[in-house]
Amino acid sequence: MKNIKYYAFPSNVKDAVALLLDKKYKAMALAGGTLVAKTLPDSVETYLDLKNLPIKGIKLAGGNLVIGAGATFDEIDRDKLCRSWAGGVISAAASKCSTQLVRNMATIGGNIARPHSFNIFPVVLLGLDAKVRLQARGGTKLIDFSALYSSGLGLRPGLDCLITEIVIPARTKKWKCEFIKLARTQSSWESYITLFFAAEKKGKALSRARVSVGALSPKPFLAPAAEKAMLAGDASASKAFASDLDAARAGEYRSTAASNLLARFIKSL
Amino acid sequence: MKKNDMIETVKGFFNIELRVNGEKKELAVKNGEFLLDALRRHGWKGTKKGCDTGDCGSCTVLLNGKPVLGCLVPAVTAHGGELTTIEGLGSVRDPHPLQEAFVEAGAVQCGFCIPGMILSSKHLLDSNKNPTEAEIRKALDGNLCRCTGYVKQVEAVKDAAKRLRTKGK
Repeated sequence: MKNIKYYAFPSNVKDAVALLLDKKYKAMALAGGTLVAKTLPDSVETYLDLKNLPIKGIKLAGGNLVIGAGATFDEIDRDKLCRSWAGGVISAAASKCSTQLVRNMATIGGNIARPHSFNIFPVVLLGLDAKVRLQARGGTKLIDFSALYSSGLGLRPGLDCLITEIVIPARTKKWKCEFIKLARTQSSWESYITLFFAAEKKGKALSRARVSVGALSPKPFLAPAAEKAMLAGDASASKAFASDLDAARAGEYRSTAASNLLARFIKSL
Repeated sequence: MKKNDMIETVKGFFNIELRVNGEKKELAVKNGEFLLDALRRHGWKGTKKGCDTGDCGSCTVLLNGKPVLGCLVPAVTAHGGELTTIEGLGSVRDPHPLQEAFVEAGAVQCGFCIPGMILSSKHLLDSNKNPTEAEIRKALDGNLCRCTGYVKQVEAVKDAAKRLRTKGK
């Protein structure tokens, strides 16, 4: 941070993006700051503080759950809408991030802005088929969360665009979900593996299944073999999951633990 | 962008305006300085420097009423904000009920973590007059203590909650 010449506190998103795109300022956006405040590259000369932007609320819009990118983990943990959505999995995931002091500062937008193995929300949002609204040059874009880290997007949140909100589709409201973080201690920042399981039932059969995995690579991934086996009512879905994990080189311990956790989730349906 | 929305460095310092413990202050903070270091350099030494990496919680201060890690907050981001340090809570002659309860419960050993613990506890009790043990433990999960097993501190927060309810604060 020693090369910082300007601190900017814009009060609207358009101004913030204009400043990001103005090459004179060499600006970078920081939200909660818990991940990058200490590791700001020396090339950055303007610190763009997002605290005054109107991107904090959590609301329902068109039946979807819309979470402002500036909402902190603590706010998401306590929010009634988040607690009631998909069995409260979004709040539960927020509550498992690090410590209360970090949860007071860290925001969901900051957590998903860069791919990072230990970030909590990417694995949840991938599993919930979320969309992300970006403010970039020329206006806003609503993209699938799964496209956020693809090179084809051509945008880097915090450097040439801003994430303003996360949209969780209405169809996921009644999904039965579970988020699991396997870590050395409850408040460990790092985890061995993070798992998101979801299922929707129609009668006795499953009409939808989602299994996403984090902490094994910077980007979370879906487990197609496990999802397919769950939808087929295959009792050996957990074995299929082990094959997904082996493909990701999860290692024996993670693979065994995660497969057992999926078996437990299926049993609970 | 409005002119007031941007601050420029002058000879390696940023001039910020904020309220510290209820008083309006103008502080010169160094380029790249974090809130913890700025506060200590300006004399608020109750805020402790432990790990300096956001793990221990001894640098906890209340920024706009919320406990945050002073070692992870760039000092300039407090511009225009309201800051409470442990010095703003009570004094030796007139301690805050939380400070009384911590002393009387024997929750203080070396004392290094206590300013942070008390500020985290204050935020909890400001929003929850009668917290459960689980809520107290969750609120304090970022404040590490290397002397105790946290039992006395949890008891102290319960006791302080009772004192505050009795006083009607």
